[in-house]
Amino acid sequence: MHSPKRPEGIAETITVTKVREVLLVTMPSDPDDPTICALQEKTLEAMDQHTVTGLVLDLTRVEILDSYFARTVAETAQMVELMGGETIIAGMRPAVAITATELGVSLGRTRTALNVDRALDMVGRARHPKPRRRA
Amino acid sequence: MSDEGKTLVSERLETGKALTLEVQQEMLQLLAESVKEYAITILDPLGHITTWTPAAVRLKGYHPEEIIGQHFSVFYTQEDVAHGKCEHELEVATREGRLEDEGWRVRKDGTRFWASVVITALRDPHGNLRGFGKVTRDLTDRKQAEERLRLQAQEILEMATVPLVQVWDGIILVPLIGMLDSARTQQLMERLLQRLTDTGSPVALIDITGVPTIDTQTAQHLLETIKAVRYVGADVVLTGVRPAIAQTLVHLGIDVSGVATRSSLTAGLRVALRMMNLEITAGNGDA
Amino acid sequence: MTLQECGEIEINVEHDIAIARRAVRDIAAELGFGVTETARIVTAASELGRNVHKYAGGGVMRWRALNKNERNGLELSFEDHGPGIADVDEAMREGHTTGGGLGMGLPGAKRLMDEMEINSAPGTGTTVIVRKWRR
Repeated sequence: MHSPKRPEGIAETITVTKVREVLLVTMPSDPDDPTICALQEKTLEAMDQHTVTGLVLDLTRVEILDSYFARTVAETAQMVELMGGETIIAGMRPAVAITATELGVSLGRTRTALNVDRALDMVGRARHPKPRRRA
Repeated sequence: MSDEGKTLVSERLETGKALTLEVQQEMLQLLAESVKEYAITILDPLGHITTWTPAAVRLKGYHPEEIIGQHFSVFYTQEDVAHGKCEHELEVATREGRLEDEGWRVRKDGTRFWASVVITALRDPHGNLRGFGKVTRDLTDRKQAEERLRLQAQEILEMATVPLVQVWDGIILVPLIGMLDSARTQQLMERLLQRLTDTGSPVALIDITGVPTIDTQTAQHLLETIKAVRYVGADVVLTGVRPAIAQTLVHLGIDVSGVATRSSLTAGLRVALRMMNLEITAGNGDA
Repeated sequence: MTLQECGEIEINVEHDIAIARRAVRDIAAELGFGVTETARIVTAASELGRNVHKYAGGGVMRWRALNKNERNGLELSFEDHGPGIADVDEAMREGHTTGGGLGMGLPGAKRLMDEMEINSAPGTGTTVIVRKWRR
């Protein structure tokens, strides 16, 4: 038993799409170390090639976030920031969020969103806009 | 018990005559030996065992030859013996005529069972104390069932009752009551995060008005919950931060910077609405 | 599918960590662990599997289903013949790192599991055993 249940190949690759001014990077459900390593290269390369205001990292399908994965995400976000963009992590599952918290990982100051839709709205905008001036 | 004994007893019963002391004793012996659920033993006035029955063997593990003549304190836990419980029980039984008790008793092999015990003073026609009758019943199963029920009730009270209230479209209110331990935190986190993602609510309003005091553990668990909420992409507004709680947080060195905190729930709700780009037009916006 | 009672997976190359992780996820789900509990177990396996690969150059993960006092559980054992850990207490301390490590591997895995045992001596290798019981 224990040959992996899901098909490998397509399911295990990172996809990078440009949506208007934003790069949408989607992670597979259980990326192995080389795939995680590729996240950084692919992302920075895409940042270099396109003019974008930021990056949405879609973790909707991700089933576990261990310390190596988390560290790569945090580092990539920092690098993206150095290149003039902002990273927003989207769609982390409850079980993943709880486990990552208990494990003690840190995602630094990276902003998060419930889903990709909200994340796309957030890119380039402060999270809590100042209230309108009262009369 | 012998067939002869049985015949003797039934004959006397049929004739309706008063029983002789000899027959009475035989009858008692028959009763003591045939009752299965109750271990009946007889003690002398000082508490030494004089009669031992098959049910007592089953319940306590001692055979007649090794237990007759011993003091009945061998069935009690060390703590009970140290507290003079055996003497006290005989004293009460002597004074009141009988004593009922429930508690842990010890078998020969050292295991414990939950016993219901009735001790009755046995007196002769002149009122002289001749000894004690002791009826013991094993209620371990009932005790364990009660304990399970109690634990379940406690769990329901402590854990399931943290209600998650959708107070506004996109805002989940968590009125926290009592302290947080790790089991409770895990359970709360799972439910809260699931609800936030299911309903697509970007704000969790955690109200700690019902938390009596904040110790380091509760504070750490609170921070953990806040962190996990943020990971799924929602924000936390912490309300009910009373003066004493604010002092404790600072003294313990708990860093809640980056979390919107307010003393009142109303002020917190205003912050939450503003986070979602909504404003209460009638409010004066003191948040 | 009937679950085997025990098994083992070799961890030699980076990709094996992902294979071990997937096996653990399937076993945990099969044993009836919930989504969050499974995420905890899989994350712990990932941390410990990576230690084996990173610090010892390879080893093996053994697993077995547990049943004690009417409770079901899962035991994972990570064995290697690497350099070993000189000071286990030190390695269990938060923030401990060796060789550019992550510093949360051992203590993090311990937080995610119910029980952890470490047997190690310099030169003879390391065995880390973790257990999780179903609640």
